[in-house]
Amino acid sequence: QEEDDSEGEAPDIVLRGDGKCTKCHDETSDYPVFAIGKTKHGTVADSRTPTCTSCHGESDQHMNNDDAMPPPPSRTFGKNSTTPILERDQACLDCHQGGKRMNWIGSAHANRDIACTSCHQIHTDRDRVRDKMTQSETCFTCHKEQRAQINRPSRHPIREGKVVCSDCHNPHGSAGPSMTVRDSVNETCFTCHMEKRGPFIYNHPPAQENCAICHNPHGTTAPNLLKVRSPFLCQECHEPNSHQSSLGTITGAYARNTLARGCMNCHTNIHGSNNPENVRNEGLFQR
Amino acid sequence: EQDEDIKRLTKPQSTINFGAGYLFNDNARFGQFNGLRDDGFYGIFNLDIIRRNDDTGTWFRLQGRNLGFRNRDVRLEHSRQGNWGYFFEFSQTPRYEPFTANTAVGGIGSSHLQVPTTPTAGGPEHLKTERESFAFGINKFLPANFELQLHFKNEDKDGARIFGRGNRLGPPGPTAVGGYEFLPEPINYTTRIFGATLNYNGKDLQLSGGYYGTLFENKNKALTTTGGSSVGGIFAPALFTPIALPPDNQAHQAFLSGGYSFNPHTRGTFKASYTIASQTDGFFPTQLAAPGAPSNLHGKVDTTLVQAALTSRPLSKLNLLANFRYEDREDKTPVFLYNPNAFNVDLNGNRWTGFNTPRSFRTFTNKFEANYALPMNLRLIGGIDYEHWDRTGTPQTTGHRNSTDELSGRIELRRTMAETVTGTLSYIHSDRWGSHFLTQTTATGQPFFNLIAPINLADRNRDKVRLLLNWEPFEPLSVQAAVDHSWDDYNGDRNNSGFGIKKGIARNYSLDAVYTFSENLQANAWFSRNETQIDQANRTPAPRVPWSVKLENLSTSFGVGINGRPHEKLDIGTNITYSEITDKFKQSITEVECCPGNTPVPDIKFKQGRWNLFARYALQKNLGLRLDYILDYFKTNEWTWSGWTYTDGTRLSQDQRQWVNFLGISAYINWQ
Repeated sequence: QEEDDSEGEAPDIVLRGDGKCTKCHDETSDYPVFAIGKTKHGTVADSRTPTCTSCHGESDQHMNNDDAMPPPPSRTFGKNSTTPILERDQACLDCHQGGKRMNWIGSAHANRDIACTSCHQIHTDRDRVRDKMTQSETCFTCHKEQRAQINRPSRHPIREGKVVCSDCHNPHGSAGPSMTVRDSVNETCFTCHMEKRGPFIYNHPPAQENCAICHNPHGTTAPNLLKVRSPFLCQECHEPNSHQSSLGTITGAYARNTLARGCMNCHTNIHGSNNPENVRNEGLFQR
Repeated sequence: EQDEDIKRLTKPQSTINFGAGYLFNDNARFGQFNGLRDDGFYGIFNLDIIRRNDDTGTWFRLQGRNLGFRNRDVRLEHSRQGNWGYFFEFSQTPRYEPFTANTAVGGIGSSHLQVPTTPTAGGPEHLKTERESFAFGINKFLPANFELQLHFKNEDKDGARIFGRGNRLGPPGPTAVGGYEFLPEPINYTTRIFGATLNYNGKDLQLSGGYYGTLFENKNKALTTTGGSSVGGIFAPALFTPIALPPDNQAHQAFLSGGYSFNPHTRGTFKASYTIASQTDGFFPTQLAAPGAPSNLHGKVDTTLVQAALTSRPLSKLNLLANFRYEDREDKTPVFLYNPNAFNVDLNGNRWTGFNTPRSFRTFTNKFEANYALPMNLRLIGGIDYEHWDRTGTPQTTGHRNSTDELSGRIELRRTMAETVTGTLSYIHSDRWGSHFLTQTTATGQPFFNLIAPINLADRNRDKVRLLLNWEPFEPLSVQAAVDHSWDDYNGDRNNSGFGIKKGIARNYSLDAVYTFSENLQANAWFSRNETQIDQANRTPAPRVPWSVKLENLSTSFGVGINGRPHEKLDIGTNITYSEITDKFKQSITEVECCPGNTPVPDIKFKQGRWNLFARYALQKNLGLRLDYILDYFKTNEWTWSGWTYTDGTRLSQDQRQWVNFLGISAYINWQ
């Protein structure tokens, strides 16, 4: 997609044919553009890289106007843009529709009128959403519940930039639920917690079905990202036979179900046990 | 000089930042993932070296972050843009256990532990795990819009984490306490992820196909012990050895995904994959193997995924979306008898199966959505989601139903254009139901239990309302308000028992504001209130008195930040975040005849705050100083470990109030 707009009078500064734009849009203008030269888009040796008009359109009315406030370019991307979002996104998708962005059209974000430029900064060498230390701030502008959850005492190291939203979610859409990077919630969790995959001799059914039945990966007050503390969590599924229906208590014999690891004080291999020895409660994950 | 200015503004810039920081306080929470746990000096060293050859479009980039800390990252990239590229990456992530264990258990970190036979005081142990990963990848653009990508990642995770064994059973009866012992689990894992992808990026057609492989290897097969409590006869904790550790496993996936734009208004996408996962790790030697049991599980799980979506805009005002997903996880693991003793009737009249428990799932997920533009910049969106699960399995200690269905309907009204006020109001309703619950039976074949429907299988009605408002009352100020409420109504009981989960409620309120005083000074503030509530019921062990509990989680958080450039040489920024979280456990009763001496579960409160401050002063155009200051505060009355002593004498504790100060001073140099 090569374009040559270099017939303008002003010399090009960054992109091919940008002279007609940069003669006004220098660093003193309200819309400075030079920083795009620092980016991959500014690597003009790559013949695929865009010109100003590749993204912003020919913008004849904008350029052939001497008013102090000329009409905007054909295609704009700022927060007050009147360019339809589909048209804005198409400027990006013309080149970036493949690979991990294949599912963008039809994704939850696209269907909620999120534009590519709602998250991405183009005219800067540091796109905040592509930096592990700052990515989550972009996501949290909409996902406010998660913004609060990452400060809970049981959490992933998101604040430290060691786990970021895009480690688990593909914001451009995926074949998995909740835009998970792998095809299911569990397969996504296994990319870091593969020891939970098994299969085991004795499998804990919810652990195989969906990690999120018991865990909230965004942060919890209960240890190990559990949604609820033991024994209450376990009692949401297990029949009230004997000890498993005990009250929550921090003293007395049944404190063993509440304190420390709670029910896991005994049922230690809670995700599943691969112990072939056949005597004592392997099927109850005690060994 | 103009050329220099242009170069400064348009060419990539490298930076090195180095100095030292001092941590004024030992802590357990602040340093949990960054390694800044013990007071003292730490090196500050970050770099970002970028070179681009403008003639060839060749990039070289070396990034190093937190090189003086234990959570360091290094990435080296070399590429000719649009032609070829490769990268190497190293990452280190510690996780310090926030609780200190005072324990006499020996051999921590190994797969053989020495456990005191009677309560014994021990010294402090700070458990820790650490991940170290190394990755590399290659990409090469090929003729005809093809691109080949190869990737490999190896991650080692080492250390030890909280684990243990215990058994309530023992003479003279089921309420006798056997004992609980602290057995830190040795972690020595290797995880490898690798694959090859061939992408085709045409104008209308995009394809991506290839292979994705994952391997897990655990150096420790089992945890064995010497010592330990012999109280409890044949159920004594000392006899609970060896304890299985996670087995090696692997999976291999072939996949093909694609997208095709039929015309500017219609696009289809799909993904198909087939995954073969296996677990054939040899069993560790045992004294009591069941006759005929194999030498390993011969675990095999094959998963088929087919997903397809079609989006279309048949009218300029109407968008349609249809999405279909089918996943079949077929567990082909052969079934053997591993525990003949399971057929014996236990103390409660139950008997179980001693066979291994392979489980298969099939899920169908369908989504349909229509999006229509109304006058006055309004947009109306309606959608229907349907999910169906088929499961194999039998009821054992929980209820089981073979299939569940969930149907959701949603409607949303949205202002789509940028004006002073934009907003979204949406309502979602979903129903979940399923096949009949399979009947559990006693050793004599009589129905037994069948009182609780598990939370993930129970019938459920869910309603959710969400409101999002963006308001820009005047140019420098923007405000965003978000409110959502959801109500879950579960039918968690079976046979009119009145037990199980009943209700769930979630409420979230947020208010954000951004104020731009000038190009050189911006401020932001946010507030969030999050509340969840779960109502569930149960009955105590004999004499079986019904009880219920209302579990509440209440959280209030806020943040304030300012960034500015008060002087052309000075950049400053500061922000404060604070969270206060309370867990409440409202039980209907706290004392019953069966088990006197109960103490109601107290509320748990967490308070956490952080103040960050940075200032950067340019001594020259390419040289300056940077100051970083962090004040971190953590306070809790958490009782998880405070009232607990293991039978071996181990106790875990944490400092319930932690103040941490960190001050860093560093220099930075930029160049091009």
